[in-house]
Amino acid sequence: MKKIKILILTAVVLFAGFSCEEALDINTDPLAATSADPNAVLPYVLVQYSNRHVTELGSRIPDVSQYFSDTFNSPKNGTTSIFLTGNTWRMMYTQVLGNLSLVKADALAAGATSNNVAAIATTMEALIYLELTSIWEDVPFTEAVNAQEFPAPQFDSQETVLRGVVALCDEAVDLINTRQEAGEFNVSNGDLIFGGDMNKWEKFANGLQLRALMMLRNQTGVDAEIANVLSRPLPETNADAAKLEYSGQAGALNALFNLIQTFFGGTNETSNVYGPGPPLYDLLVPTGDPRADVIIARNDLPGPSIDAFPSNSTAVLSNDVIRGDFPDVWMLPAEIDFYKAELSLKGVGAAGDATTNYANGLQNIMTWYGGDVPGATASIAQADIDAFVSAAGAPSLDDVYNQEYLAAFLHPILAWNHVRRNKVPVLETPPNSNISTYLKRFNYPPAEVAANPNTPANKLTDAPMWFEN
Amino acid sequence: MKRKLLMTVSLLFAVIVAFAQRSVNGSVTAAEDGSGIPGVNVVLKGTTTGTTTDLDGNYRLSVPEEGGTLVFSFIGLAAQEVEIGSRSVVDVQMIEDVEQLAEVVVTALGIERESRNIGYGIDVLEATELTKARETNIVNSLQGKVTGVQITNTGGNVGGSSKITIRGVSSLSGRNNPLWIVDGVMINNSQTMSGSRIAGNRDFFNGAAVINPDDVESINVLKGAAATALYGSRAAAGAIVVTTKKGKAGKGGRATVAINSSVRFDNLFRVPDYQQGYAMGSNFKYDSTARGFDWGPRIAGQTVENLPITGETGALTAVDDNGVNDFFETGVTSINNFSVGDADERMNYRLSVTSLNQTGIMPGSSLDRLTIGLNAGVNHSEKLSSKFGVQYIKSQSGGTGVTGANDPNIIGLGSFSSTLDQRQFQNWIDESGNQINVPTRAADGTPTSNNPYWIQNENLNDREDDRILGNFEVNFKPFDGFQLMGRVGIDMNDDKRLITNRKGTALRILGNFNSDNIRRQEITSDIIASYARDINSDLSFNVLAGFQFNERLFERQQITGNELLIPELFSPGNVNQVVASRDYSSQRLFGVYGSAELIYQNWLTLTATARNDWTSTLPLDNNSYFYPSVSAAFVFTDAFNIANNILSYGKLRASVAQVGNDTGPYQLNFNFFPITTASGQYGLNVNFPFQGQLAYAATSTVPPANLLPEQQTSFEFGLETQLFDGRIGLDVAYFKNINENQILALPIPQSSGFAFRRTNVGRVDQEGIEISIDATPLEVGDFTWNTTVNFSHVESTVVELSDDVEFVTIASAFNSVQVRAVPGKEFQLYAIPFARDSASGRPLIDPNSGRRIPGTAKTMGTVLPDFTAGWINNFTWKGVTISSTIDMRWGGIIKTSTVEGLQTGGLAAETLRNREGTFIDASGVIDNGDGTVRDNDVPVRNTQDYWTALNDGSVAEPYIYDASFVKLREIGVSYSLPENILSGTFIKGVQLGVEGRNLALLYSKVPHIDPESNLFGAGADGFGIERASVPSTRSFGFNVRLTF
Repeated sequence: MKKIKILILTAVVLFAGFSCEEALDINTDPLAATSADPNAVLPYVLVQYSNRHVTELGSRIPDVSQYFSDTFNSPKNGTTSIFLTGNTWRMMYTQVLGNLSLVKADALAAGATSNNVAAIATTMEALIYLELTSIWEDVPFTEAVNAQEFPAPQFDSQETVLRGVVALCDEAVDLINTRQEAGEFNVSNGDLIFGGDMNKWEKFANGLQLRALMMLRNQTGVDAEIANVLSRPLPETNADAAKLEYSGQAGALNALFNLIQTFFGGTNETSNVYGPGPPLYDLLVPTGDPRADVIIARNDLPGPSIDAFPSNSTAVLSNDVIRGDFPDVWMLPAEIDFYKAELSLKGVGAAGDATTNYANGLQNIMTWYGGDVPGATASIAQADIDAFVSAAGAPSLDDVYNQEYLAAFLHPILAWNHVRRNKVPVLETPPNSNISTYLKRFNYPPAEVAANPNTPANKLTDAPMWFEN
Repeated sequence: MKRKLLMTVSLLFAVIVAFAQRSVNGSVTAAEDGSGIPGVNVVLKGTTTGTTTDLDGNYRLSVPEEGGTLVFSFIGLAAQEVEIGSRSVVDVQMIEDVEQLAEVVVTALGIERESRNIGYGIDVLEATELTKARETNIVNSLQGKVTGVQITNTGGNVGGSSKITIRGVSSLSGRNNPLWIVDGVMINNSQTMSGSRIAGNRDFFNGAAVINPDDVESINVLKGAAATALYGSRAAAGAIVVTTKKGKAGKGGRATVAINSSVRFDNLFRVPDYQQGYAMGSNFKYDSTARGFDWGPRIAGQTVENLPITGETGALTAVDDNGVNDFFETGVTSINNFSVGDADERMNYRLSVTSLNQTGIMPGSSLDRLTIGLNAGVNHSEKLSSKFGVQYIKSQSGGTGVTGANDPNIIGLGSFSSTLDQRQFQNWIDESGNQINVPTRAADGTPTSNNPYWIQNENLNDREDDRILGNFEVNFKPFDGFQLMGRVGIDMNDDKRLITNRKGTALRILGNFNSDNIRRQEITSDIIASYARDINSDLSFNVLAGFQFNERLFERQQITGNELLIPELFSPGNVNQVVASRDYSSQRLFGVYGSAELIYQNWLTLTATARNDWTSTLPLDNNSYFYPSVSAAFVFTDAFNIANNILSYGKLRASVAQVGNDTGPYQLNFNFFPITTASGQYGLNVNFPFQGQLAYAATSTVPPANLLPEQQTSFEFGLETQLFDGRIGLDVAYFKNINENQILALPIPQSSGFAFRRTNVGRVDQEGIEISIDATPLEVGDFTWNTTVNFSHVESTVVELSDDVEFVTIASAFNSVQVRAVPGKEFQLYAIPFARDSASGRPLIDPNSGRRIPGTAKTMGTVLPDFTAGWINNFTWKGVTISSTIDMRWGGIIKTSTVEGLQTGGLAAETLRNREGTFIDASGVIDNGDGTVRDNDVPVRNTQDYWTALNDGSVAEPYIYDASFVKLREIGVSYSLPENILSGTFIKGVQLGVEGRNLALLYSKVPHIDPESNLFGAGADGFGIERASVPSTRSFGFNVRLTF
């Protein structure tokens, strides 16, 4: 009997002993990778940014800057549900900046042959921080995206963030200028914006720097830096436009159209989802702007009021701009042209002639809608453009501001920045608003508030940001 | 010579004895059901002569020629002494022994023990309690009947899930569901979602729901770490040990054959108190398309040109109860069970076949379940035996109700309007396959909302679930007291779902489908050696040592297709876009455990257990964790010999235990994952490859550096007494659990580049008392009234999280409504209240509109109850038994979006007040802007404005209610035909029954809906949140049981 016991116990112990170690070594996810190629990570970053950007900001806040008449779950009355942009915050910091930091660190470690990858990552970082501070003002920058060293990042002032954006753009341009093209990493597949064309990335980075400097200029002297960037390559033609193209096929639809198709069927013109906001309508339709027929359908009818969706008895945004293959546009050359016109009028000599810049801007934006935009379904005769530009003549500052605003149509953050920076066009306070004016900022998302003790107290949502005072 | 003499004397003695003896035989049966009881000790009093009954309960014993008394004894039954007299046949019926409370309970690993030796809390639910009024989800059968458990379900959904928690909640990471064990084998009770829990939740049943009540012998609910310590860490939230029925011989050694048939009818449990005075529309203007928005004109039989749906001209009239009884149908459930079993000394087997066929109150909803169970055992020899059990369960459900929000398939009570005749919807499709009888857009005829019959008939929410539970066990008893047991068990689950939107469904106009195939597999094997020995007449001990291997595997493949070509063809080839995804995980665990029990004079039992686990999910060099338990049971009435007619039995019990817990698989490494979807708001996703490019993203969770096992320390003290000869039983328990080192993906500032950090964090304490009183107030002749009251109070307090974390979100719904863990509190409902004057606490009013002003989201109170209680009564008189269960939940709050919809839509009766006038919201104050406030003096624009603006700014406060309720849960009446009527027939027993479930809401402050409804389902901890739940049902039924 004793033998049996010993036998059993030995068997148990042996079985437990020698098989455990190997049998337990199975904790490796067979569906995950330990590293990833930039050509695989960049598409995620670019597409995730764009789709969240269009679905959350593009579909909800255009009635804040009032280029749409009304949107679902809009914060325009001053009540920003604390969850409204929590997804955007998470997307920007974790999905985009988090992954970009990994791409950038690998690229920098690889040396000059990967400068192109590092420059793309750095330029995208600049774009994201510029948008973060545009939505929330003070945001983590200097201590951000460094979980090891700064588990609870400090929030930086808007000036610090904007200056940081300027520095990131410089860094990107420096990386591009110090590329080692022999044996360079081929990023043409992963770069869904410019297909690896670093000259265009350089223009985009410089354009972003100018965008940030224009905001800084409201508060602080940056004309020397502006002059510097004006001397560098900037987007000049619509071929330089920074944009993510959507094929319009299932799974690659511009979200503004996808929302209509998914929930209502038909098109914007039949389902009446997005209408032109009063400033957009007033600046395009009565002025005989050639873009009016491209952007606004049924524009012989009045536009909907700021708190109403369009109907069959109002104008509506046209199917030429609300379509599945409309690109998500991050920068157009017209924006730069109008900045230059504005700077000219404000006495910045390096910007050149105001009228020329203004005319260039009008030409660029009208040819964009008239045929340069990918998948264009409408056209504007060059003669009509020329006639309009010619008639426009020398612009006033308000003219420039209005054109900056119009050129930012479908750029939810940029349009909002323009009206906050320029105060033109003048926006009416929406009816039944809980705040004294149009929305100026979002509250911090609760996830950050709860986890980061350094999150500042929320200000009232009509309190202006630093850059607009 | 000496040897010869001895032989001769011996032979002579033997002959004398033989000559003086006779043989007596008989059968020992259970008084309860007449079945034979195997293993009863039959001893001739005053001698060592004895035997035990065979598997049929029969015995044969040699006894002296005259006189003599037989003593029949068996654990848990009252011993009987019967004088033999001159009889050669002595039959005995044995009854339960309440005085000794020799109840047998099934403890961890399926080990049976006498209740008196147990040092921790166990509740036992016998088979009869489960089949008084059958439930299609066995979890619901426990409601009100077991102390300290809380059951929540999503409402009246056919094939829906039910959640059970024991002694509150312990985990911040969702590990609050107890472990389910069937015949010693761990099974999966998880609930896997297809899609979102809040946006179009399809509530499919949880894993344990497939256990067939007709096959269950008993359910033992093990609470506290000491009870479950041998099961290991997975039972930290308690364990539910199910023992299935084994084959028994019938009377006369024949097979036991039983047929049981139940039929049940389900109707709406609660119909909202709809207003019937005002029509669809707004601002007193009639609008035939305003479904669920009854702010139109007073209904006065006026003629309108466009009646709802038909568009015809006719008189506007209100439909009774807004037509809910026209739309919701009478559900019918039939449960038919056939079982045959037999046993003899060598073998036993039981085969059971059960067919459950249910149609729900939602048109087109159904659940069909076939359960085939086979249990068999063989005694190969005195030393070797083996047994096995296999259950195959096939469940098919369809027409599952969709709940939550943001899904066109939701049919909530808020979509029923006063002037909308639901019967107009009954034709939903034309010959061309177009949806009809709904409002359509003039431009292209596209539906702007859906016909509910289109939703229920054309859009699928189908599930087909195949489950095999199997176990095989070998027992070897090489010598007295020693036993070696080997057992292997498997739980295999093949779960296929198909969720579709036919092309032409409003809000999913191009159609889509999701085909979701899930495979789960769990294998558990145990080798247990045990040895029991009586050291002397006072002291005995038993020891046990075991080894366990457990492996869990999960695999899932989904195909989503968007934009259908043929409207009802749900194939990847018929869509413009296919998105495929795959998920896989496996984990393993080795455990070594032991237990030692010392019993002194059967009144003092000391038990110590220890277990060490090695898991694949913790770091290889630190994947081992040890946990001990100690418990004591002290029957003081025996120890001090103080048992008397008043205090018949008394036992004190105490235990302390510590268990560890591992974490999920693949949580230790920093990984990049291939991504198929770039997510967007409103579910507007785009997919990879995008422009032909694949996508990878890094994890958003910082992997743990030095992960430690979770740790639960548990203390329990209990008192069990029997008073007045067992007429009253009292069981009181106090417990405290400390749950530390919880492994959690802790939210960290997203600005750090990551969203979570997996780490050990936090502490949740559970502290409470449980009281159970069992009494027989009346026992007159054949009439017996037995009553049981159980009460449990538990506080599950989040003691700490992490220094820099204010809360952890446990579950998140729409409009800022969440369940949160906040230090110092029980799980809280977090939502947006009205802004209030800080001094008076009165709501602040907007002086421009007279409306209340939205405030800032905050915690509004706990979602967990203060206490739960149940009151069970059984009245028996001859063959008639009447039983009832009332249960209550007291405390906690619920946010109901259904009530929100009924009120903002002007559907609820309370919106009739001042309907045609205006009024001042007198409870509010207006901020004067100078630090002072004044009583509100601004009237609201009208009543519609008041109600529709109440939830502006996502304010949830008006829809948060005290969730307390008292329910008449169950009534059953059964009648067993007297045996003499059946004598001479082949039928041995007939039992007829009438049953009812969920019969009446005796108390609730929640208007219009069942306060038990829940949005999230069994797989999440979303207590206290309701949204568009399928209305719960009241059931009546009949039952016939025949035994042969």
